[in-house]
Amino acid sequence: MHKRVIGAMAISGVAALALSACGGSSTPSTPGTAAPAANDTSTSAAAPKPSSTTDAPVRDANVDLVIWTDADRAPTVKKIADAFGQEQGITTSVQIAVNTRQQFKDATKVGKGPDIVVGAHDWLGELVQENTVAPIQLSADTASQFSRQSINAAKFNGQNYGVPYAVENIALMRNTALAPDAPKTMDELVASGKAIKAKNPKVTNVLLQQVGKVGNAYYTYPYMSAFGGGIFGASADGGFDPKKVIVDSKGSVQGAEVLAKLGKEGVLSTNVGDDNAEGLFDAGKAPYFFTGPWATTNAKKANIKYAISDLPTLDGGGQMQPFLGVQLFYVSAKAKNAAIAQEFVTNYLTKKDVQLELFKALGRPPALTAAYDEVAASNPDVKAFFEAGKDSKPMPNIPAMNSVWGPLGQASADVIAGKAGAQARFASAQKEIVANINKG
Amino acid sequence: MSLATKTPPAPASPPTYHSPKPPLWAVIVKWAALALVVVVAFYLATRLADEGYGLYIVILAIVVMAVLVVYSTRRSIPMKYLLPGLILLLGLQVWPIIMTVSTAFTNGQTITKAETITAIERNSVREVAGAPRYKLSIAVKEGSDVATGNLFFLLTSPDGALKVGDEKGLSDLPADGVVKTDSGKITKAPGFTVLNARQINARKDLATFAVPSTDGSGIKAVGLSEAFEGRATVTYDEASDTLKNTATGQVYVVKDARFVPQDGKGQAFPQKWVENVGFKNFQTILTDSSIRSGFLKIFAWNIAFAALSVITTFILGMLLALLFNDERLKGKSYYRALLVLPYAIPGFVTSLLWASMFNQDYGLVNSLTHLDVDWLGNPWAAKAAILIANLWLGFPYMFLITTGALQSIPSDVREAAKIDGAGPARTLRSIIMPLLLVAVGPLLIASFAFNFNNFSLVYLLTGGGPFDSDNTSIGNTDLLITYAFRLAFSGTSPDYGLAAAVSIIIFFIVAIMSYAGFRRTASLEEVN
Repeated sequence: MHKRVIGAMAISGVAALALSACGGSSTPSTPGTAAPAANDTSTSAAAPKPSSTTDAPVRDANVDLVIWTDADRAPTVKKIADAFGQEQGITTSVQIAVNTRQQFKDATKVGKGPDIVVGAHDWLGELVQENTVAPIQLSADTASQFSRQSINAAKFNGQNYGVPYAVENIALMRNTALAPDAPKTMDELVASGKAIKAKNPKVTNVLLQQVGKVGNAYYTYPYMSAFGGGIFGASADGGFDPKKVIVDSKGSVQGAEVLAKLGKEGVLSTNVGDDNAEGLFDAGKAPYFFTGPWATTNAKKANIKYAISDLPTLDGGGQMQPFLGVQLFYVSAKAKNAAIAQEFVTNYLTKKDVQLELFKALGRPPALTAAYDEVAASNPDVKAFFEAGKDSKPMPNIPAMNSVWGPLGQASADVIAGKAGAQARFASAQKEIVANINKG
Repeated sequence: MSLATKTPPAPASPPTYHSPKPPLWAVIVKWAALALVVVVAFYLATRLADEGYGLYIVILAIVVMAVLVVYSTRRSIPMKYLLPGLILLLGLQVWPIIMTVSTAFTNGQTITKAETITAIERNSVREVAGAPRYKLSIAVKEGSDVATGNLFFLLTSPDGALKVGDEKGLSDLPADGVVKTDSGKITKAPGFTVLNARQINARKDLATFAVPSTDGSGIKAVGLSEAFEGRATVTYDEASDTLKNTATGQVYVVKDARFVPQDGKGQAFPQKWVENVGFKNFQTILTDSSIRSGFLKIFAWNIAFAALSVITTFILGMLLALLFNDERLKGKSYYRALLVLPYAIPGFVTSLLWASMFNQDYGLVNSLTHLDVDWLGNPWAAKAAILIANLWLGFPYMFLITTGALQSIPSDVREAAKIDGAGPARTLRSIIMPLLLVAVGPLLIASFAFNFNNFSLVYLLTGGGPFDSDNTSIGNTDLLITYAFRLAFSGTSPDYGLAAAVSIIIFFIVAIMSYAGFRRTASLEEVN
C-alpha cells in the first residue's frame, strides 16, 4: 500500500501511462518528478541538475524529533540534534531527503513529514501556500541578534516562519595567478580580462557567468539591481508584491543592455552554463568568475589560487547587487512533536556555538551576527562573500517567483546571444511573467 | 506397467486430472506463507488505521480475502497463477490511472477549505506590541495525571514577577518554595508537577491551549520554555463565509477556491483548497490560446521525433544485426557485448553527456567535426541533436531484437532463395525483411509509443528548448509530455489538475496510434 499525494500520483500516472503503452523501451528510464531546475538556483546554482527520483525517507515514528535535510548538511545537523536531545532527555533522528523541497511538501500533506526541515528561504511562499510550515514566534530580542536581511527573508506576509543559520550570495571570484588585483568596475574587469586573455593562450574566457541556452535569472538580477531595477516592487508590509512586476522598468532594461553589450563582445556566452562554468575556472581558463561560496571547495581541490571581492559597478549605474539566499530551519505545520521542534529552533539554533558548528560544515557566513563576527575575523573568504551581499535584498520568497525564472532567464539568454534587443525582449518577458502570475 | 495393471480401474467418472497429494512440507510452507500474508496485512491495517485511511483498509481486506480464497483451496488453478499479476496490475497500472483521471477533474489542490482557514488564522497570530516574553514551564496540579490533567503555565516575566495561568486567566504565583534556573525558568513550584520535554510533547491539547489575556489575545507557548502574548489578526466569519483582517479592516471573500480581497486591493491569501472543476481543465486545453497555438507545432514534431527515432534506430540496429549475423565473422559475442553497452548505461547519464558534447564552444561534436553549429540553440540543429542522441541510445535495443528475430529465421528458407537464384539484396528484400517485420513489428510500435513520451531525453538534453523569443512555454524540441510538464509547473503554483488532463489526452493519442499500428502488423501477419 504505497501512497503518495495526489500530485505525485498524477505525475506517476503520467509515467505509468507512458509505460503502459510501451512493451519494449529503448531507454529504461522514467521521467522524474523533480521540480523545474531553475527553482533550485539558491542552493544548487552550481550543483548538477536533479537527475533521478529517490524515494523520500520514511519517518521514524518512535523518536521525539525528526529533522529532514540534504546529504551535505545531515552529519552536522545530526550532531546538533543529538546534543539537543541529550540536553532535553529525548531521542532525535536526522534523515536525508534527496529532493528535500518536493519530498517535504508531498510527505507533509499526507501526514508523513518530519517535524523540522532545513531549506532555502525562497521555498517559503510555496510552503505557506501549501499549508506545510508553521509560524515561529521569535522574540524581538532574539530576532535582533540576526542580520536584518536574514530575518526579513524568513518572513512571509509579515509573519516569521524560519530560523536562519546561514546566508549566501554570489561575488566576484578571481584567479589571482592571472588577475592579482580586483577590478572595481565592469569596464576595468573586461579590459584587464581581455589583456590577460591576449597574453595567455590557455585563457579562453574573460569572465565566467552561468547563462546556458535557457538563461539564468539568478545571475541576471545583479545587472538589473545595479540600475535600481529588479523583479518585484515592495508590498505594504515590506515584502514583495506579485502585482508589481518591474522586469521592464528603466533600471532593469539598462541592466539588460549591459548584458547585450557583454554578449556582443564575447565576454558572456550562452555556451557557458551550469555544466561547465566551474570546470573552466578550475582549469585556469578564465581570470574572473561570478559565483558563490559553493565554488570554493572545487577551486581549492584544483589548486587554484583565488580571491573574492565585491561584484563590479556598472557604467552609469551602481554596484551590482546579488540575490541574497538565506538558509532556514522550518517547523512543519503538521509536526507530530511541535513543542519540541519549536523549542529546538527558537532556543537552541539561536545559540552562537550551534551556528558556528553549522558554519564549520558548510562554509557559509552564519546568520547570527555574533557567530559571523567570530568567523569573519579569521576567514577572509566568508568575510568577502558577506561583504559582497551586505546591501543586497533577499531573493523574493513569494510563490509568484516560480513564474519568473523561466521567462526572465530566457530573456537574458536571448539578449546575450543577440537574438533580440534588450528593451523589446525584457518587455515581452514582463508580459509573459504577468500572464503566468495571473494564471494563479 | 505392472503397477498399472495391479491398481483397480479408475472410478466411472471421466478421466479428469487430479493433482497428486502434495508432500507434507509443501502444505506446511503454503499455510505458513498464507499466515504470513495475513499477519503482514494485519500489521499494515493497524498502521493504516492509525493514519486514518479507511478506504485503503477496505482495499487491503479485499486483496487479502482474494489471496486466501485462491490459495487456500485446491480449486481455481488458473487464478493461482494470475492473481499476483492481477494485484500488481491493479496497484501499479489501474490505480495510478484512476488517480490521474480523478485529479483531472479537480483544480489539483490537496488541502480542504477547513484546513486552509485554520492555517490562515494560525499564521495570522502576531505578538501583541509591548507585551512581555515570559519564561515558561508547563505543569499540572500536583496529584493529577501528567497526560490528562488540566494544563497550567508557570510564567516568569522579564522583571522577575511570577505568574500562573490556566484556561481561565492569569494570576500571581506565590514565590514561596519556587525554584528557578539562572535564566528564570521555574523548575519547581509547590502544588504543581512540572512536566518534562517528553510529557509536554505528548500533550496534543497544547496546540490549542492559551491563557486568555486582554481583549482577545492569549498567552501561548513557544516551544518548551518560552511564552508570548499573541492575537490572531485574521478571523473567519462562517455566516458570510469571509475572512476579516482585524488590524486593517480588509475583508476577504471566496473566489476560485481561495480568499481574495473584497475590494480587489492588496494581495490574496496564497492558500488554495481542493475543488471539483468538472471539465474545466479539458476546456482550458481546447480554448487557451497559448496552449492551442503550441499544440499543433509540438504535436507535429512529436510524431516526427517518434517516427524518425524508430526508423533511424531500427535501420542502424538492423544493419549491424545483419552484419553480425554473418557466420564468417569471428568473435561475434564480443562485438555484440560492446554494441549493447550504450543500452546498459543509464539513459539520463547519456543524455547529460550528450548535452555537454553538443556545446557549441566546448563540446566534442563541434571540435571533432570542425563545425560551429549551435546545436542546442538553433531550432533545427537542436532537433537533429536530439535524434542523434536518441539514435545512440536506441540502436542497441533494435540490434538486440533484430538479432533475435534473424536467428529464428530458418536457414532453409535462405537456401531455397539462393537455389532459386536470388542475390543477397533480393533475399533481404523479399525473404528476410517480411519475416523480420512480422517478428519485430509490434516491438517497433511499442518503441514508437515509448519515444512519443520520451520525457527524460528531451528534459535532460535540451529542456525542450531552444525557445522562440517571446514564449518560453513552447520549446522547439518540446514533446507533448515535456510541454505538459512545463505548462503545469510554469504558473505560480503547480497545476496538477491541468497536467493530469493533458496526460489523459496524450494517453488517448498514443492509444489510437498504437491501435492503428497493431492493426497494420496484424494484416502483415495474415499475408504471411
